[in-house]
Amino acid sequence: MEILALQNLSFRYPDEEHWVLNNLSLSVSEGDFVVLFGPSGSGKSTLLRLIKSEVAPHGESKGQIIFNHRSIAEHTAETLAKEIGMVFQDPENQIVMDRVLEELVFGLENLGFRTDYMRKKVAEMSHFFGLDSLLNRRISELSGGQKQMINLASVLLLEPKVLLLDEPTAQLDPVAAKSFISMLRRMNEELGITVIMAEHRLEDVLPLADLAVILDKGTIVHSGSPRQLSAEIAHEKYQSYLPAATALAMTFSHEQEKMVPLTIKEGQQWLREQTIISKSLKKPEKKKKNGAVLLELKRVDFQYERDNHKVLEQLSLKVYEGECLSIVGGNGTGKSTLLRVLAGFIKPQRGHLKIKGTRSNKKRNEILKVGYLPQNPRLFFLEDTVEKEMEKAVASNKRLDHKTGKQHIDYYLESFHLKALRDHHPYDLSGGEIQKAALICLLLKSPEVLLIDEPTKGLDPMAKQSLIERLKRLNQSGLTIVNVTHDIEFAAQVSSRCALMFQGELTAEGTPDAFFKGNTFYTTAMDRLTRQTGVPEVLTLEEAKQTWRMQNS
Amino acid sequence: MKRGFSSFHPLTCFLYYVGALVIVMLGQHPAFLLSTVLVLIVFNIIQEKGGGLIRWWGAYATLIIFFLVLTPLINHRGTHLLFYFRDNPVMLEAVIQGMITGLSLLCLLLVFLSYNQIITADKFLFLFARVLPQWALLTMLAMRFVPLFRRRLVEIDRVQQSKGVSVKTGSLKQRIKNGLLFVQILLTWSLEEGIQTADSMKARGYGLKKRSRYTPYHFQLKDGLLLVIIILFFSLSVAGWALGDLVLEIQPMLESPLLSGREWFFYVVGLLYMGIPLCIEGREWVLWRFWRYKI
Repeated sequence: MEILALQNLSFRYPDEEHWVLNNLSLSVSEGDFVVLFGPSGSGKSTLLRLIKSEVAPHGESKGQIIFNHRSIAEHTAETLAKEIGMVFQDPENQIVMDRVLEELVFGLENLGFRTDYMRKKVAEMSHFFGLDSLLNRRISELSGGQKQMINLASVLLLEPKVLLLDEPTAQLDPVAAKSFISMLRRMNEELGITVIMAEHRLEDVLPLADLAVILDKGTIVHSGSPRQLSAEIAHEKYQSYLPAATALAMTFSHEQEKMVPLTIKEGQQWLREQTIISKSLKKPEKKKKNGAVLLELKRVDFQYERDNHKVLEQLSLKVYEGECLSIVGGNGTGKSTLLRVLAGFIKPQRGHLKIKGTRSNKKRNEILKVGYLPQNPRLFFLEDTVEKEMEKAVASNKRLDHKTGKQHIDYYLESFHLKALRDHHPYDLSGGEIQKAALICLLLKSPEVLLIDEPTKGLDPMAKQSLIERLKRLNQSGLTIVNVTHDIEFAAQVSSRCALMFQGELTAEGTPDAFFKGNTFYTTAMDRLTRQTGVPEVLTLEEAKQTWRMQNS
Repeated sequence: MKRGFSSFHPLTCFLYYVGALVIVMLGQHPAFLLSTVLVLIVFNIIQEKGGGLIRWWGAYATLIIFFLVLTPLINHRGTHLLFYFRDNPVMLEAVIQGMITGLSLLCLLLVFLSYNQIITADKFLFLFARVLPQWALLTMLAMRFVPLFRRRLVEIDRVQQSKGVSVKTGSLKQRIKNGLLFVQILLTWSLEEGIQTADSMKARGYGLKKRSRYTPYHFQLKDGLLLVIIILFFSLSVAGWALGDLVLEIQPMLESPLLSGREWFFYVVGLLYMGIPLCIEGREWVLWRFWRYKI
């Protein structure tokens, strides 16, 4: 039975020429799990917000949204608040109260439910989510993943018929994201709640979906069952969205729609039926010799407060000239702290940092120019347009005069595709765009080392892919890059060396190949897919494309 | 703390804190203020094991020292000359005045610390959401911003430091300019995120109808009794202030800081008022001990 339908829906912001959403039609049945994806700025958020009329953007809209057989304008505000629930992207900003229990019942109280009813509901829900131990905690003590779980639970307590989620896992680390998604699956499968989710990471989500929809520039480009859709888009630009198994299978054969594997398990079954030999790879075995040591940490200890545990413990690390080093590890293992010690923002309590072999801290900027790209690049901008900020960066670089500086700005804006946005306020840019803009500002200071904190957070797969290409090119042109990330796929593709951070130490390191292959959990989806299936093990799709030859049996 | 002071009706608790604020502002006697500080510190230790004190002690100490040092340097009125500091007379009156101002402010802050523990967001909404829904919402958001601002400023400082922009180095003019720029990003950023919070509230039906309560607060007999006690002690304390007994006279003649006669009575009354929550928690503690003793 149909629960929600869009009929020729169009929308544009006031005083704007173009339509953000253009003539959308879609029908969602009760109990469906719908995944909505597409590049940033394609209108996913706008669409979800139009369905949730309380938070709808202002502007001109055409067409209709039908909920439960009536136009949403005909429903009462109470019905809509209760029956259409929404979880937003940022876990932190959605929270109103300061304790978990108060936050959970916030919606119920707003709608005036009786106390005994609320008590029963909360007891039920906290049992289902396993929240008992959290109920009396302060929200500020929780992790991002727990916060997002509380947001979900708080919305679900209203017993919505349709649950809308706007990139709910974009700000979470992979482990928290997985447990959030598995909770969604339970909601959908055990309670039959209709879910409409905008999402970038499809590896875990696509297999759950009944209906997948690609939105690009405000129109539905493709829609259908995940398998059907995968078959359609496998050779288009949207390919980077597909789960590893699907992308691999579709690259090497044109499977029937029914046969398209979605999960690792299905992918392995598919692989076992194939015969693949590795091409005699003429790998660019130039086995670069390590360059000079630019930065070196020697037995460094760091803790934020005396009584707390040590964030870094006896950590030693060398950064060689010309390499791209990725430091991977879970949340809270001290990755960001390590990067900040390398940048010289914080001084370790024990041990020391050597810059090009010297320990002097005073003239460090003259010895080695370091650029640091923070996790939240928004805070980087002080000026009110992107271009002004860049001019400032040029002004602070003594090696560039005003005129060449201008040329540099133009060059970078052109090659990073940001030309149209040069006069915009930094806060009007999307996550990927603002990151690029901040990166340009850093490059304008002609650094020798670039330190990047969590570069892929919140990026859509296409933006991520272009970031990878960009960093690779910068690295090839001689820039040394150190990044910390929990995105293994990213680390495997971009780096020349990987190191694993665990409990304040670097426990393992090596080339991506040596580092990841053989790991059971801590490796890329492509590696988990190909190991122990009798085919040559690969880390990335790119590697498979280069080294595999499929024999048609 | 399901029992104890926080188990009383929010209205009673709220009125208590209003009264407490008034009393520490009116009571300008160093002996009284010092005792109050001690009572409040003990209460904070019981409430959150001194968590708030540990977090803020640096700021509190700076505040006291600031007033203690600054008042004698600025204020030169009085008759008891202590010594000369760079040709400026330092008066005993001014030192005492500085002490009183500092302690009074410290008391205010400590009362707020305890207020934050007892009047949680949901109690605040309970008290004001019906009477002034929009204002209650706004106050909630604003209060949420205070700790957030602190955390965010630290983060902005970190990021900007990487660009070489800092409030800690450079000429004074440059530092002030940078500081203002930081505050500007802080506001832009926070406003944007505030919109998200407001969205999430609207999405869950805030303001559609009269809010109900998950924790039902019934005004019980014990709340009434406590309220009577609060009003009684409050009125007496105010009377003490009006009679000049809770105030140390400095101008025109410095009064002896030692308590005497009727002053003792009001000192005890005022301190008892400030100690009400402590007494209630103390009773719980004794009961618990006694209960353990029985088994």
